[in-house]
Amino acid sequence: MWQVYFKELTELLRDKKTLIFVILLPILIFPVLFGIVGLVMATTTSKAMEEQHRYVIINEQQAPQFAEALFYHKNFKKVETTLNSEQELVAAIRNDEFDVALVIPADFASRKAAVQQTEWQLIYNRSSQLDFMYNYFDEMLKTYTEELQRGTLSQLGVDPANLTAILKPVELTRVNTAEQRENIGESMGAILAYALVLLCLSGAMYPAVDMGAGEKERGTLETLLICPVSRTAIVLGKFLTVLTTALMTALITVVSLGVWGGIISAFADLSKVSEALASITIVDLMLMFSLLLPTAAIFAALLLAISIYARTFKEAQNYMSPLTILVIVPLMIAMAPGMELDVTTALIPLTNIALAIKELLKGTADYGLLALIFASTTALAGALIAFCVHWFQQEKVLFR
Amino acid sequence: MIEIKGLAKAFAISKGNKLSDTEKQDVRYSEKAFHSVRDVSFTCGNGEVLGLLGPNGAGKTTTLRMLSTALKQDSGSVFINDIDVLQKPIQARKEIGFLSADTGLYGKLTAFENVAYFARLHGMKDSAIKTRIDELFSMLDMHTFANRRVDTMSTGMKQKTAIARAVVHSPKVVILDEPTTGLDIMTVQTVLDFIKSLKAQGTPVIFSTHHLDEVGALCDRVVVIDKGVSSFSGSLAEFKQLTPDGDLRQAFLAIIANQAQQGAA
Repeated sequence: MWQVYFKELTELLRDKKTLIFVILLPILIFPVLFGIVGLVMATTTSKAMEEQHRYVIINEQQAPQFAEALFYHKNFKKVETTLNSEQELVAAIRNDEFDVALVIPADFASRKAAVQQTEWQLIYNRSSQLDFMYNYFDEMLKTYTEELQRGTLSQLGVDPANLTAILKPVELTRVNTAEQRENIGESMGAILAYALVLLCLSGAMYPAVDMGAGEKERGTLETLLICPVSRTAIVLGKFLTVLTTALMTALITVVSLGVWGGIISAFADLSKVSEALASITIVDLMLMFSLLLPTAAIFAALLLAISIYARTFKEAQNYMSPLTILVIVPLMIAMAPGMELDVTTALIPLTNIALAIKELLKGTADYGLLALIFASTTALAGALIAFCVHWFQQEKVLFR
Repeated sequence: MIEIKGLAKAFAISKGNKLSDTEKQDVRYSEKAFHSVRDVSFTCGNGEVLGLLGPNGAGKTTTLRMLSTALKQDSGSVFINDIDVLQKPIQARKEIGFLSADTGLYGKLTAFENVAYFARLHGMKDSAIKTRIDELFSMLDMHTFANRRVDTMSTGMKQKTAIARAVVHSPKVVILDEPTTGLDIMTVQTVLDFIKSLKAQGTPVIFSTHHLDEVGALCDRVVVIDKGVSSFSGSLAEFKQLTPDGDLRQAFLAIIANQAQQGAA
């Protein structure tokens, strides 16, 4: 068994595809993802902030102070228009005559004097993902309405210093009993579990295809089968190799995430995240690994069984594609809001692992449930390994 | 010593597969199975070279796979030096050196690593492996490419490596499935010389081939398999006597024609 294991490992380490999928991809995936997202966000934000929007204002004489503030805003450029109905303004924006129209009611000044509420209309295209336009108007309107409120209060003989207390007599302050770690675990745990489990799958996929269908295609399987070694030893040697690569992929990813997370924390002010992550103990990490071990074993056994059945590399890849979807579904279930770890969810394969990793990150794991998950996942992995060994003894599978 | 009696092997036909008209007329096809080997018997004594002949798809490779324990026969028996391959496959495998039609080598390993890997699978110790590989590489003139990876080798180099891999554990019986197919003249000569050296050591050798000149030059015994049945089994002299002028090609064609007539009858 170990002879087969070490030989398979040697071959895989000399294979460029394995090095890319098992080592290079997990190392580079996070910095590349962070980099791309950061670059896109920075470029889009910078472009949106520099953009100058053409605007028209209807009935501006009703709110001259606001009209003046808008006129001097660096992101706006006034356009004259004779249009005033909503339909006409919408059509003009669609024809790119200007970008935004602000409609102030014709009776705004008189209603303001009578202390009555009015409604202004902001007409613009909201399909842009970064809604800077609304933010600019909202910010200017806050300043403007505050000025109006102070003026009105003065008219009513109330001290404007009491403005905040009059507008919002009660302020509700939230005191969170959850620790920082629990908050981060709740928001990040399911995503991390999702990534780890899928990486175990992707790390196992290529070596499994190579060691089953690949051997058939190259004609090396027959030579191996006539060696004085039991078929159980051969399949277990191959299984251990696939398991190793699956775990290596997950491990390298976690280390890469830690290293790159540390680098980013050093440059950004993420002290709370660092403190929360520092509270995760080595025992928690070992427990996470011990849960991933039978999970990776399930994948290794399943993928190897599929690969042994397939006649060619391509046929094996075709069979494996639907498996990815079958794995994603239970992981998505674990990410659903309100999904908690209990005796029932602890028995749902993969959902249980994702929920357990989340609980471990939060620091709220129930060790009884963790033991149940470990036992059920190990039992499933054992059954699949036994099936894989049985499968490898079948002539109709090996010589299809 | 290799003894085969009444060997038979059938493969199930998938439910979705419908037989063509030609297949329906072929005696090897039944409704549910393809009887690849129906009745094959022969013996090959120590120091004998046996040539296994037959048209493509006759059942030669399936027969050799059963001999090598890769496949289990449905009926009949195979004894390798009195070891029943069905009862004691692991023990039988230690006695057999098998070269399949594919070279069966790992492309990412060097010639040395390929041969050493199979030596270890046969339970050889590291010190013995080095000595044996050195001996084989000298015999096959392989030292110049010993540390070269298989996926960068020529066909001839690969075939030499495959031969070294097949006999690294000093097998008592050697089975070669079309060992000279697709090789250049120089490499064919190396393979043929190697078979002669095995014969000289008293090792029984079975090799399947389509090259009748090789049969004439090397073989003591000839077996012709057609439609899964050993339709001729005898000495080279007996094979030659099948035609008046002793022409091997005519003898082979006469056996196949006779088999076809029997099938039609």
